[in-house]
Amino acid sequence: MPSERQPLEPIRTNYKLQFVSDEQLDQLQNATLEILENTGVRFPSEKALKILSDHGARVDHATQVVKFPRDLVMKAMSTVPRLFHMAARLPEYDLALQPGVTYFTNDGCGVETIDFETRQRRPSCKADVARMALISDYLSSISFCWPMVSAQDYKATAPLHEMDACWNNTVKHVQSETIMGEIPARYAVEMATVLAGSREALRKRPNFSLVVCTIAPLVQDKDGIEGALILAEAGVPVGFLAMPTLGTTAPATLAGALAMGDAEIISATVLMQLQSPGCPVFHSLMQAWADPRSGAYVSYPLDSRCRYAPVEMAHNWGMPALGACFGTDAHAAGTWQSAAEVALDSFLAGLTGAEIITGMGLCETYTLLYPEQLIMDSDLYHRARYQLMNLDVSPETLALDTIHAVGPAGHFLAQKHTRTHMRTSLVRAITHQVDENNQYRDPQEVARETVAWILKNHQPEPIEKARQVEVTRILAAADKELN
Amino acid sequence: MFSETPPLQPIKPGYHVNILDDGQLGTLKEATLEILEQTGVHCPSEKALGIYAEHGAKVDLTSQIVRMTPEFVLEAMSHAPRTYTMGARSATHDLKLDGTALYCATDGCGVETIDFKTRQRRNSVKDDIADMARVADYLSSIGFYWPIVSAQDYPTVAPLHELDAAFNNTVKHVQTETVMGEKPGRYAVEMARVVAGSDVIMRQRPPLSLLVCCIAPLAQDKDGIESALAFAAAGLPVGFMSMANTGSTAPATIAGTLVVGDAEIVSAMVLIQLACPGAPVFHSLMPGIMQPHTGAYLATAWEGTLLYAVGAELAHNWGVPTLAGVFATDAQVPGWQSGGDAASSLLLTALVGAETGSGLGLLESCTLLYPEEILLDSDIYHRVRIEVSGLDTSPEALALEVIKEVGPRGHFLRQKHTRTHMRKLRFSDLTCQPSAGGGYRDPVEVAREKVSWILEKHHPQPLETAQQTELAHILSAAEKEIDQCR
Repeated sequence: MPSERQPLEPIRTNYKLQFVSDEQLDQLQNATLEILENTGVRFPSEKALKILSDHGARVDHATQVVKFPRDLVMKAMSTVPRLFHMAARLPEYDLALQPGVTYFTNDGCGVETIDFETRQRRPSCKADVARMALISDYLSSISFCWPMVSAQDYKATAPLHEMDACWNNTVKHVQSETIMGEIPARYAVEMATVLAGSREALRKRPNFSLVVCTIAPLVQDKDGIEGALILAEAGVPVGFLAMPTLGTTAPATLAGALAMGDAEIISATVLMQLQSPGCPVFHSLMQAWADPRSGAYVSYPLDSRCRYAPVEMAHNWGMPALGACFGTDAHAAGTWQSAAEVALDSFLAGLTGAEIITGMGLCETYTLLYPEQLIMDSDLYHRARYQLMNLDVSPETLALDTIHAVGPAGHFLAQKHTRTHMRTSLVRAITHQVDENNQYRDPQEVARETVAWILKNHQPEPIEKARQVEVTRILAAADKELN
Repeated sequence: MFSETPPLQPIKPGYHVNILDDGQLGTLKEATLEILEQTGVHCPSEKALGIYAEHGAKVDLTSQIVRMTPEFVLEAMSHAPRTYTMGARSATHDLKLDGTALYCATDGCGVETIDFKTRQRRNSVKDDIADMARVADYLSSIGFYWPIVSAQDYPTVAPLHELDAAFNNTVKHVQTETVMGEKPGRYAVEMARVVAGSDVIMRQRPPLSLLVCCIAPLAQDKDGIESALAFAAAGLPVGFMSMANTGSTAPATIAGTLVVGDAEIVSAMVLIQLACPGAPVFHSLMPGIMQPHTGAYLATAWEGTLLYAVGAELAHNWGVPTLAGVFATDAQVPGWQSGGDAASSLLLTALVGAETGSGLGLLESCTLLYPEEILLDSDIYHRVRIEVSGLDTSPEALALEVIKEVGPRGHFLRQKHTRTHMRKLRFSDLTCQPSAGGGYRDPVEVAREKVSWILEKHHPQPLETAQQTELAHILSAAEKEIDQCR
């Protein structure tokens, strides 16, 4: 029997903040256009170069650098849909991207995990992906699912096994960050088609999507871009993620890094639109900083102003944005740093109006999974969600009659109004769970227990048997061909 | 020789958020006015009741309940100044409450501390206040000082000893939350006069202010209100804080809690305006939420923290500055919970335009001092401070020439532009401290070391010897007089 699942609880807010002015957004967009026109982006894929050259981009086949006339960029970008649907296995969990609603996912694709039982650190495997998908399926904070770690027990087909583990353990939309290359992408589309029922059904309600990393500065990845072309053709949403690092792979000034990362994303988006006009594409830019003493990658310096400027840049291009929250540099879950760095993120992302956001649950800069961290990040997420909700100011909540009945120096414990609303007025976080002596418990311990409870008790609706068999058959074929 | 006090770095938000719309603010104000008119507020002070009655409020002397019409309230509140200055010993550290900046204070008035040296938990003493005043003096995140714990080694006049420890160890503005009663109030004013140097300066740049707690629901404290009257008469700013508790001393709804708290605060501000029209007052709404299983006070429930930012909007709707709640945590040790709580309360408070906020440095619902917590809170403070300032999109920042020069597949390490700007990037001095074996050090440990460093090295400009002597005389007179009254 499948078990009850909490309904999705995305951040919904009427508050909106624009961190970058309209004039600055235009300056940034102009800078992107100038980089695309004069500096260009390298596309090491014959297939991509041909599409670009066929449509009038200036392609240098020797260097594989493509320069984009402004008109070409603007024309291609005019066909990108501003909003689209990211469907789930069960339609009630479909995500209709819309203004004022921000959907979060768990993080991915870590390479190590603290083992669920032994608490020892070890490389991740497919079973970890499955377990974390199950937990993500249960949590109301998680609207769609990233394979959280890498299925390192499946070599070249790991990305397909990650999808398989997710689909079998959550009814929510799945987004891959690892499918690379034309052949794996074709297998992924085939698996998704089986689950959706048909090619047409997949196009109408895509049950998965893909995010592809660009390479800073100003390079596309051959396999990444060729995989994306296959998915775009099938109507599956694809996004491009630039990760410029200030000081090493990007200028040491934020505006420069943003413009350069944007150029990488837009060049790939243009390619998708030239091949498949109107295909759903999202924009994602996650800037980082190089520690000047070591070159180390730092996600959270003291000055990370306008962290969500890329979301506004995406909207200025008329595209939805995938923003980044919860990428703490802390080495362990439950530490001061793992909260202090990330607790602001959900507020800022919600206020900026990002459509989709990754991702909760990893530490050591997106590489290490502590299972309970997903619960702890989720707790921080809900603080922002509640604070950004509209406040109910109505006769019932103002309670003037009750205040009058109690009067000065009385108490509200005996009031019916208190009994009615007390049940809902305090949603107890993991920080306010009490033990048998009415003392507060360690929130990390509570989070660990929550993980164990979900793993033991939660059973999402399984995939129909025949489809499951078919997906397994496709996976076996992929294993044979690719490994 | 003394050490320079670094300049203040208040939060100057480049952005503004409105949480309540005008309609909701209007509804809440009407609700407060209705409660003040129909339910009234209990005020157990003959002196205060006399002032209310003299000006036309409906006073029931038997029940000590005061009721006031909306017109009466609005007339009195029309005298309260929207902006004013809270002075400091050093003029460059004055706080201009003009709506452009948020100044934060330490928390107060804790009752226990983790000892600086032994790391054992013990009751707090006057020396702790002095030591933490020096730490607060050093930190640019701290705009003014609340005596962070209680001087329990001076039972008779602890609040005045707390002021003495504060005035002697920081050049910043001091705000007391413990001076209660007319007599202690008068002694505190005397101390402020000594620090200011004259009556005129004390009024222009008051070095001391007072925060008084109301009693929920809908009651004033006799000693608190009488102390406030003494401060206001001397031109020192006074604020009123409601800590109505959702479910026990306030309705179990957020809007209802706002009304109870607002009515308490406004009734006290009205009294001050009746007694001293134009006296600087501030509004402080810091409700808690009741833990339904235990009845305990929670500072940081998921949805409760919103009350702090909304409180600031209510204050502004009455035309007075606010003291907002920031950094409160129910955590028992510095860690994940305290970090998450701190970050969750500050951002919205800054974005709604709060003028002052308290406070940094305490745990266990504002009762326990961990000296290093103030450094950890300070780190989060600066993250928020910088986050709400703007983006530079000048040609130099866009760096198009450099990007063109490097081109696809290159790197930026050899660029002059990188060398120039890399030095300007700001990393946290807690989370980005390299450790000997590679990687970074534990930020909590770094914070602890930094507290020790400040205590060893930072000795702010002392009061003049004559002022120190004068404060000591006042303290000794106060002790004698107040002891005799017991």
